[in-house]
Amino acid sequence: MKSFIVTRSQINSLAAELLSKNWSIFTQSEDRKRFKQCESESEISVDGNGKPSDVSFKELFFPKSETLFYFNRDNEELTLLDPAEPGTKTVIFGAKPCDAASVPVLSKVFNWDYNDEFFNKRVENTIVISIACSYSDESCFCTSVGLSPFSEIGSDLFLIPTEKDSFILKIVSEKGEKFINEFPFMIQKEFEGTFDLENQKASFPKEKFDFASVKEWLGKNFKDEIWNEVGELCLGCAQCAYVCPTCHCFDIVDENCGVSCGRRVKNWDSCQFGLFTKHASGHNPREDQSRRYRQRVNHKFNYYKQRFDEILCTGCGRCTRGCPVSIDIAQVLEKIQCKQSAAIV
Amino acid sequence: MNQLIESAKDIFQNNKAAIIIGYTKDKSGRTKPFIAHNSDEAEKLTFNHHAVNNLAVYLTRLEKPKDGKIGIVAKGCDIRAINALIQENQIRRDDVLIIAMNCNGVVENQNEEFSKENTQIKCKYCQLRTPNNYDFLLGELEDFELPEDSQQELMNKLEAMTPEERWNFWESQFGNCIKCYACRQVCPLCYCEQCIVEKSMPQWIETSSTTRGNFSWNLIRAFHQAGRCIGCHECERVCPMDIPLTLLTRKMGMIAMKEFNYKHGMNINEPTLIGTYSTSDNEDFIK
Repeated sequence: MKSFIVTRSQINSLAAELLSKNWSIFTQSEDRKRFKQCESESEISVDGNGKPSDVSFKELFFPKSETLFYFNRDNEELTLLDPAEPGTKTVIFGAKPCDAASVPVLSKVFNWDYNDEFFNKRVENTIVISIACSYSDESCFCTSVGLSPFSEIGSDLFLIPTEKDSFILKIVSEKGEKFINEFPFMIQKEFEGTFDLENQKASFPKEKFDFASVKEWLGKNFKDEIWNEVGELCLGCAQCAYVCPTCHCFDIVDENCGVSCGRRVKNWDSCQFGLFTKHASGHNPREDQSRRYRQRVNHKFNYYKQRFDEILCTGCGRCTRGCPVSIDIAQVLEKIQCKQSAAIV
Repeated sequence: MNQLIESAKDIFQNNKAAIIIGYTKDKSGRTKPFIAHNSDEAEKLTFNHHAVNNLAVYLTRLEKPKDGKIGIVAKGCDIRAINALIQENQIRRDDVLIIAMNCNGVVENQNEEFSKENTQIKCKYCQLRTPNNYDFLLGELEDFELPEDSQQELMNKLEAMTPEERWNFWESQFGNCIKCYACRQVCPLCYCEQCIVEKSMPQWIETSSTTRGNFSWNLIRAFHQAGRCIGCHECERVCPMDIPLTLLTRKMGMIAMKEFNYKHGMNINEPTLIGTYSTSDNEDFIK
């Protein structure tokens, strides 16, 4: 697909035009906490240098609380009412490659045995404009899960900063192409050169572990001392899961909205909570934190790969940065890789 | 921190404790919680300005070792949590071996060098830089003036608000809550085996992250801390959304001090405020 040269002011014009046409626009907030909705084009952040937001943009596709339907009982009659369809056309500006890559990963599970219409509608209505990432810290590990700061997976359009206020705009998906064709001023100057990705590789985060070895070890070692080592320190909150771009567990509950009406809601949930697997009988197959942490790692780096041929992790490092007790998942996986190497020798 | 390592090794060699909960530095340079099980692992222990976690949280989370006490490295604020757990009959003093550290303040951001200005809020009004309950006391207390208590300004601002303005303030703050319950899990005094948000028959507290659900959770959490919070600020430190949670718990602590001259976790022999009743209790503040 084609690439074009665009300036920062053209990107601002695009945002202004979208706003005037009632599109919703999201971008990273200034404090880099989360993705916020913009009211003016001047708020747009297309910054490859910045830290990934503390909370991923997952909530724009899979909200933390989402009403499935409302119910109302009038005398003996029960009526059901659909919630408003998530119909707003949305553009996300300045997503990181480790954010964007989560969308196709999540799509697999949300279209597995059941098509989640809420999620699908949001994906259909959203254009993801990502930017090549030049940030990395001790928690980043995108290169260990098959991605890189230049990965275009999950993006519709991809920006590569060239010089000050100038970018290469790559069209990545058909949806992105159709979208950008509506804004001719963005596709005036075609980029005909080649971008030398090899040159950039020296600055990529170092590969911390070999995924294939990790997966192999996980498949063979359900019981191991390592789970107790991490489990005794893990406090069992869900921060790692809730800031994660790929964690997708939810719970479904009924809540009242008044005396005779209520709603069924889908809320984020996490395998790190004790209640998550507790049976009605009182039995809990994952009765302690070591078992719960083992589940988290296996789901991400073993089961999901088996079932969907995807790694349930984009290496963004949010779980590590946010962990109250600084558990570094990449360090845990490095240790696992060492165990696997030792087993082979 | 040779002094700490030497003491820890001595503890293991003489069977004074079965494990020691302390801090270590990982290969990326982060100072973080660590549990030493033997003399070799004791070599990895450290204590520095980034030893920010309140390790007392582990005292009620870990299984009690069969063969000895739990050793714990503790700063003044951690000691208050340990004292409070003893006062509330959650642990026995005899079951813990306290390796107390004179504390010169901690800084939250692992990548920031320590300075007076960037110490955690709790250090800015700390009254227990030298712990008051321990088996060993280590470290040197440096002479420094407590930095300005920056939270006070925000508290005054909230005080001056009308109830409606205050409601709006908290509505916007709680609106950010994603219900990860990190505030609960990291709190040394949130030790209930079943939290009220986990009671689902009936569901007392809505699990949804809506205005109503978020207010319910955050207010019930605050209520349960009334006069109990020992001010370690762990809840606020770990909140991924930076909700200023300690404004509520600190304010209640100040009320407990003003109305009942009580401060939790200062003396293991003192009955708890919530657990005692006196006919002379002041009721003026109930409006």
